[in-house]
Amino acid sequence: MTNKTAKRFILFAALLVAVNFVLDQSFKAFSVHNILNRKMDEQFAAYNDTLKYLALGNSHNCINTHILEKSFNYGSPSENYIQSYYKLKHIIEKSGKKPEYVILQADISTYGPKIADRYEYNSYWIDYIDYRELAKVKSDRNILTKWLEGRFFSYAGNYKDVQLSILYRIKMKTLEMHNGYRPHRDYKNFADEPNKRKLAWDKANLFLSKDAYFDPSIKVYFEKILQLCQANDVKVIMVRYPMTREFHEEEIKIVPEEKLFAEIEAITSRYSVFMGMLNYHDIFFDHPEYFFDPDHLNVKGSDLFTMQFAKDMEKMESGMLAE
Amino acid sequence: MLFNSLEFLLFLPLVVALYFTLPVKWRWLLLLVASYFFYMSWKAEYAILILFTTLVDYSVAIKIGNELSKRKKKNWLLLSILVNLGMLAGFKYLNFFSESANALLQASNSGYAFPLYQILLPVGISFFIFQSLSYTIDVYRGIRKPEKHFGKFALYVSFFPQLVAGPIERSTSLLPQINNPRAFSEQNLICGLKLMLWGFFKKLVIADRLGMFVGLIYENPAEYNGIPVILATLLFAIQLYCDFSGYTDIARGSARILGYELMINFNRPLIATSLRDFWNRWHISLTTWFRDYLLYSLPYIKDKKIVQAKIYRNLVITFLLMGLWHGAAWTFVLFGLFHGIMLVIETITEKPVAGFYQRMGINKFPVLKKTIGIIYMISLVVFSLFLFRANNLSDSMLLLSNAFDFSNTAEAMKAILKNLEVVFGIMMIVILLWAEHFHAKHNLVRTIASKPMIIRWTAYIGFIFFVLLFGVLHQEKFIYFQF
Repeated sequence: MTNKTAKRFILFAALLVAVNFVLDQSFKAFSVHNILNRKMDEQFAAYNDTLKYLALGNSHNCINTHILEKSFNYGSPSENYIQSYYKLKHIIEKSGKKPEYVILQADISTYGPKIADRYEYNSYWIDYIDYRELAKVKSDRNILTKWLEGRFFSYAGNYKDVQLSILYRIKMKTLEMHNGYRPHRDYKNFADEPNKRKLAWDKANLFLSKDAYFDPSIKVYFEKILQLCQANDVKVIMVRYPMTREFHEEEIKIVPEEKLFAEIEAITSRYSVFMGMLNYHDIFFDHPEYFFDPDHLNVKGSDLFTMQFAKDMEKMESGMLAE
Repeated sequence: MLFNSLEFLLFLPLVVALYFTLPVKWRWLLLLVASYFFYMSWKAEYAILILFTTLVDYSVAIKIGNELSKRKKKNWLLLSILVNLGMLAGFKYLNFFSESANALLQASNSGYAFPLYQILLPVGISFFIFQSLSYTIDVYRGIRKPEKHFGKFALYVSFFPQLVAGPIERSTSLLPQINNPRAFSEQNLICGLKLMLWGFFKKLVIADRLGMFVGLIYENPAEYNGIPVILATLLFAIQLYCDFSGYTDIARGSARILGYELMINFNRPLIATSLRDFWNRWHISLTTWFRDYLLYSLPYIKDKKIVQAKIYRNLVITFLLMGLWHGAAWTFVLFGLFHGIMLVIETITEKPVAGFYQRMGINKFPVLKKTIGIIYMISLVVFSLFLFRANNLSDSMLLLSNAFDFSNTAEAMKAILKNLEVVFGIMMIVILLWAEHFHAKHNLVRTIASKPMIIRWTAYIGFIFFVLLFGVLHQEKFIYFQF
């Protein structure tokens, strides 16, 4: 290789690095999910009240922190138990804000491999997740590419996030958030959908897999969450969030519901900090108008659900709730 | 180790750097070690299979070369064929044969059933066995002399860029390159990187994106009908092309960086105007393998009695086996059979069709003639892919019958147009077809290379980041790995 060529290669490589840096930083600043997650972090850092309830999970988690007092909703888009564990570990070990209760999401879709293999928004999660440990647990060295993605190539493969971020900037001008809770999407109503069954089928098949209903890595991290709570004396409440009848019917065509929850019960029974599972999946079966889509409540639905949940928590604490 | 994995992106530069640092006489050894490491990263034990094939074919070729008696030469060749195909049968087809036999036994109420075994299909077994087998046949036919250097022959069988999904190289092309390695060349490096980038575009931006939609339909055959089923199968044709030719581009690019020239495996098959034309352009290293080592070996050539019916029979047999080569399932057998029969029909009707074109004056409009040819070819290929892609025969039958049920077309079209992945994927296909067309006419690579540096570099850098941003980076396996 001549000197001239070598210089050109170096210059080309330097340009690649520079463009990559610009794209990476721009994406981190522009991504709506990054902005939401960072805002949640900021609110949590500023939270000074007693932290009685800490809700984790993904977009199914619709606990309105205006209604449930002394609560913080730390659920984030596409979050699974793996991410919840690392976030909870960070909160308990580093933030100095230990919650009295951790509210864990326990929907059917929480446990499958499709959820376990979703590693999105790594530029945010890189501050929490120990990717080396995760790669060991999953016996998959390629998980380490997620670390690289989060650190240097946040935009790589994330064209959808760019598209969503543009739409978000067009449609939503303000970012309303209270103790982590952001009012659920409300620009359409599931009751108005002409083909509810098809939408439910699409959604259920997007997240659930016929081959497996309880991913081994989710099992590992589920236990890790319980162990962490046990070691720090944090009580655990599990919640099955409300779903539409159509969505649930499609879910149970794919996943053996009883088997799954029997396995979950076998795990939770070993931990004294586990306080119980509150099951709301069917409370709005006859009310599609409370839903934004097959598996997400809208604002009204979220409020009604949270009121019910707050009452149940009161009953539980006073020992009146049977289950 | 997948080409679209972090491991490969570390592995290749390391191998290239070491390769050109080492003295020429030791370079084959580095590549051999690297190739075995590459293969063993899937399942270390299966490297024994490659080693075994290598040992057998190396020894057999030496024996054939030393033997004077034609009969004995033939016996040695038969041994190589038996061992290689026996291994392929054992690892790839044993359960298929047993299941098929069991179905027959069950139908005849026999109490006996052949046992089924839990066998993990060794990645790329059909590729390296065919490559190794072609060498012994070439030695037997006197096309080349036996390779005396075991290490270099072992490298020919296991050369990592093309080990798991081809192109299936001939010993007459690859072994001389191994024996006379080229020095480092900037030209090779740049060409190789460009080829790899184009392969990544085809694989990550097109194939894996289309695969999401195709997978949804084919994994739920009872749920879809009409346009989505037809569109999914059409897109699968393009997914398959981009996946496999993308792999080939990355393989050829990696080899080129090291100074090796691998054969062209695809020649714009999407613009083929007949089924015969399609097979001349698709997976060329496999079709020419079957042509040279099977079709031309079947009886009619030997007897020099060229009877048309025998030619047709041989064609059908060749394609039936080519279908079976793709996978141990009846769907693949029927896929091959369909192509064989259609090729026979195409040959028989060639003259009447040409006469019809003449009478109708279509020959005066070459673009129209070409368009009719492409539509005909795509229709046949897409039809056969209902067999190729479906999980089993009943799924493919269900999808085929559903494809002609257009009861909810308007709703389906709306859903498809809302699916941004599909819309974007189709836009990318247009870019691909334009680029291939432009390249064939004006040599796209040379056109870009002739531009001023600022334009050239903007184009390269822009394209690299385009692939990174719009690629589906889930490390989807290459479809042809399963074969």
